[in-house]
Amino acid sequence: MDSTQYFLVAATVTALCFLLALHAVRSIAFSRAPKSEGGDFATSAAKRVCNCVCSCNGGFADGDMVVGAAAAAERVTGASMMEQLVPEITTHALSYLDYPSLCRLSMTNSLMRKAANDDNAWKALYHKDFTLEQDSVTPANGWKAYYAATRAIVNINAEFFNIIKERSIQAMSHFWRNADYVKCVHASGELFSGYNAVVQSWQLAFNWEHGVNFQVRDVRARVLTDMAWVTMKTFVDIDSGPFNVTNIYEFHNGRWYMVHHHSSVMLMDAEVEQQLVHA
Amino acid sequence: MSSSKSNKIVKLESSDNKTFEVEEAVAVQSETLKNMVDDGCANDTIPLPNVNGKILEMVLGWCKKHVDETVTGDELNKYEADFLDLDQADLYGLLMAANFLNVKGLLDRVLQRVADMIKGKKPEEIRRIFNIKNDFTPEEEEEIRLENAWAFD
Repeated sequence: MDSTQYFLVAATVTALCFLLALHAVRSIAFSRAPKSEGGDFATSAAKRVCNCVCSCNGGFADGDMVVGAAAAAERVTGASMMEQLVPEITTHALSYLDYPSLCRLSMTNSLMRKAANDDNAWKALYHKDFTLEQDSVTPANGWKAYYAATRAIVNINAEFFNIIKERSIQAMSHFWRNADYVKCVHASGELFSGYNAVVQSWQLAFNWEHGVNFQVRDVRARVLTDMAWVTMKTFVDIDSGPFNVTNIYEFHNGRWYMVHHHSSVMLMDAEVEQQLVHA
Repeated sequence: MSSSKSNKIVKLESSDNKTFEVEEAVAVQSETLKNMVDDGCANDTIPLPNVNGKILEMVLGWCKKHVDETVTGDELNKYEADFLDLDQADLYGLLMAANFLNVKGLLDRVLQRVADMIKGKKPEEIRRIFNIKNDFTPEEEEEIRLENAWAFD
C-alpha cells in the first residue's frame, strides 16, 4: 500500500516538474527567437506579396512561430512586460538606464538579474560615464565590478580635492598610507618622501594658501585589484595652473589609501589657453 | 519601381485584418517598410501578422505626424509626450511593433519612457509596476543586496 502511494506522489511531482520545465523552455524559446520571429513574418509576408528577394531580416520559415508569437503576446498582457522583452530590445533598453537603476532592476528577480548584469551593458555604461579608453581591457571580474571599482576610486579622488579645499590636515593625514615609500611632488617641483614629510608638506601648503577653488577635469582612472592610478587636469585661476596631476592609491584593510601625488604645471599652448578662457 | 514618392500609396494589413493606406513618405519612416518599397515588394497589400490594428494605427499616426511639415517643434514634443501616456499592454505592443517595423524615433521614445518608469524606483516598486515575480531565496536576496550596495551610498 505504502509503495503505491509513494509511487503516485513521485509520479505527480515528476509530472509537475516536467510541466514547469516545459513552460520554462517555452518562455525561453519565445524570448530567444525574436529576430527570427520578426524576420520570419517579414520574409513570409514578402514571399506572399511578390517573388522578388526582399532585404528583410533573414529568418526561419516556421508556421508554428505565428501561433507562438500570438500566444506569447497574450501571455504578456497582464504578465511581466520586462521579462518578455526580446533580447535585442532589452540590451537597447538597458542603455537608457543609469547605474543605480540598472542595479535596482537586477534586484527584482533572477531573470532581470541576468539581463541587468549583462557585461556589454556595463561596458557601454562605463564608456558613457567615465571614458572611452580601456576599450580593449577585459576586467578580471567583469565590467559591472570594474564600473563599481572605478566609481569608488573616482569618488575617493574627489574626496582628495575636498580635503585640499577645506585645508583639513587631519583628513589629509588620514588619507595617506602611513609608510616610508609614499611620495608627494607638489606643483612647486619639490619632492617629499615618507609619510611624515608628506604630511608636513601639506601642513605647510595649507598654512600658506588661502582656500583654493579649482576645477578638476578629464579624470581617467585605471583600477586593478589592490592598486589604482588616476590622471586628471586641475584648473585653478589665471595666475596658477592649469596642472597635470597623477594620484596613485593602494588598497589595504578594506580601504583605499593615497600613496603618491604628483602635480606639475601644464605646458600652455594655444589650445589650452583657449580652454582656460572658456572655463 | 516608382521614383516619385509623393503619389504612391502603401497598403498595410494588421493581424486582425484591418487595412490601412498611407502615403509612401509616411510608410518609409519604418526601415522595414522602406526596404520593401525600395525592393519593389510594396505593390500589393503588405500583411503584418504580428502587429494588431490598434497598435498599427498608433504607429502610422506617429509616422504621419513626423512627416507633416506644418507641425511645429513644440507641437511635436507635446504630441510625443501625450502619445506615450499608455497602459503597459499598449506600451509593450508599441515597443514590439516599433522594433519589428524599425521606426527608430518611436522605438527610442518608448524605451526612454520605459527607462523613466524604472529610474529612481526601489526594486519592490519596479516589481509592482512591471508585475515581476520575486523568485529569490532569502540567501540570494542578501547576496544581491551586498552585490549592489556600492551603488546606493
